[in-house]
Amino acid sequence: MARREFLTGNEAMAEAAIAAGLRVFIGYPITPASDLFEYLAEKLPSYGGVVFQAEDEIAAINALVGATYAGAKAMTATSGPGFSLMAESLGLAAMLEAPIVIVYNMRTGPSTGIATGTGQGDVMQSRWASHGHYGVVVYSPWSVQEAYNLVVKAFDTAWRLRVPTIVLSDAVIAHTRELAVVYEPGEVKVADRKPPREPPGEFKPFKPDPDDLVPPMAFYGEGYAVLAESLVHDERGYYTTDPENYERLVKRLEEKITRNKHHVVSSEARYTEDAETVIVAFGTLARSALALVKDLRKQGKKVGLWRPVSIWPLDEEGLSKAVEHADRVIVAEMNLGQLYREVARILGPTGRKIELVPVLTPELPGPDELLGYFRKAGVEI
Amino acid sequence: MTLEIIIAGRGGQGILLTGYLLGKALVKKGYYVVNSEMYSAETRGGFSRSDLIVFPSEAEIDIIKVRKADIAIFMYKDQMHSYAEYVKPDAQLIILDGTFIEEPAKPWPRVLKVPFTRLAEEKVGTYRVANVFMLGVFSYVTGLVDPETMEEIIKTSVRPKWIEINLKAFDAGYNYAKENLEKVEIKL
Repeated sequence: MARREFLTGNEAMAEAAIAAGLRVFIGYPITPASDLFEYLAEKLPSYGGVVFQAEDEIAAINALVGATYAGAKAMTATSGPGFSLMAESLGLAAMLEAPIVIVYNMRTGPSTGIATGTGQGDVMQSRWASHGHYGVVVYSPWSVQEAYNLVVKAFDTAWRLRVPTIVLSDAVIAHTRELAVVYEPGEVKVADRKPPREPPGEFKPFKPDPDDLVPPMAFYGEGYAVLAESLVHDERGYYTTDPENYERLVKRLEEKITRNKHHVVSSEARYTEDAETVIVAFGTLARSALALVKDLRKQGKKVGLWRPVSIWPLDEEGLSKAVEHADRVIVAEMNLGQLYREVARILGPTGRKIELVPVLTPELPGPDELLGYFRKAGVEI
Repeated sequence: MTLEIIIAGRGGQGILLTGYLLGKALVKKGYYVVNSEMYSAETRGGFSRSDLIVFPSEAEIDIIKVRKADIAIFMYKDQMHSYAEYVKPDAQLIILDGTFIEEPAKPWPRVLKVPFTRLAEEKVGTYRVANVFMLGVFSYVTGLVDPETMEEIIKTSVRPKWIEINLKAFDAGYNYAKENLEKVEIKL
């Protein structure tokens, strides 16, 4: 039954994972994700799950991939420095189509940055950390409740598409308490793997279904020959240098996301029906941006807000609709322009003026401070 | 409407617990509450601040940190001076711990100065529950949270060995207010 709780973002994300059927949590402590780990260490065993502290983040993500191949819903939680260490095997997870879920709480970077500060500097890192061209899905919450909902959604996406899925949250949500409506396991809807349809001798572990491009998945121990091959492989999982096979595989790893984007993308538009200027912001900064939009509306200015909930991929149709009546789009983010590049790519060809408001501070600015950053950037509003 | 509450004091005064208990009680009443915390690295003696923003529903949420508080609770003078700028000039209620604060930092219209720390020591036997004594006073004066709800929340939120003394402190604060203070109507 639904319970109304007063939880931090980290507690809510842990609860969400339990509700989604989490069986294995593997982590390595880091601010601001350690308390999520601690919460699960206390709670997950009573649901029959396992919590394991690996020797480092590299081992954690590798073990996570293994856990999914054994059939377990598995998750880790980290922040920028830990995610950097996970980069290599993020590519492994994408290549093996392992449905891992990563909670990624952004803090102030680069490097170890300001450990207790918040940040939004990891938009590109969340998408492109590993080498080669591969697909991942990244969601970004702006509240504790949405952090809960998106962890559930992340498990659904990961298992539906066999794709590593990341919830890109931040230090503010991690430690802020809000009302969250939470559920017990079995009360939320999460996709499961598609089981093999052929008998063991005929099953090919990387043979996609033609409609959704997602291969059915056999778990270890079920009697199927499952080859987990990180090298470029054919449908059987055998290494091959065949150029056509290579092209087909790499395209499919991305296309299985874009073709199923109706399951994946989402965004929210506020006050955009008649907006001549649209502010684009994501995560907790979008909360301050919304308050700023409300202030500007009181002054009679036709300003709206568009915030992506899925960052990779973006809800491009949602964005285009939100800016329908706008000739100016202003991207405000806590970095020197990362989401901005995506917005510019999508809307640049339409001739709209696209401006950037970089917000570089380890503390989440409120609406008044955010307005200060607009002025600093020379962006009139 | 939105109600913004700021609670601040020195590290060790139980500021964060106070915000948590009050937030939980308001959630129980059906409000959407945002509670963010700021504190210095020291366990005791630094600054500590807990912000609560009470929204009528989830659809109305925006800010996470207090912008201009409608209610301010200052348990120590240094933090009152630091955060006075985040309080509305016509704030609905200012609560000060008279043990450590002589004069309000600004000419706020409705100031309630009570020596919580001294009274907790006298009536409950330890200054360490001054925060929950204050919550007892707050509960009576504002009527925002009823004592039964708050007592239930204390029972399920503080460490077992601290439950009894916190309940005692809450009652002492509530009764002290009932005998000595006027109610203040809070618009929400």
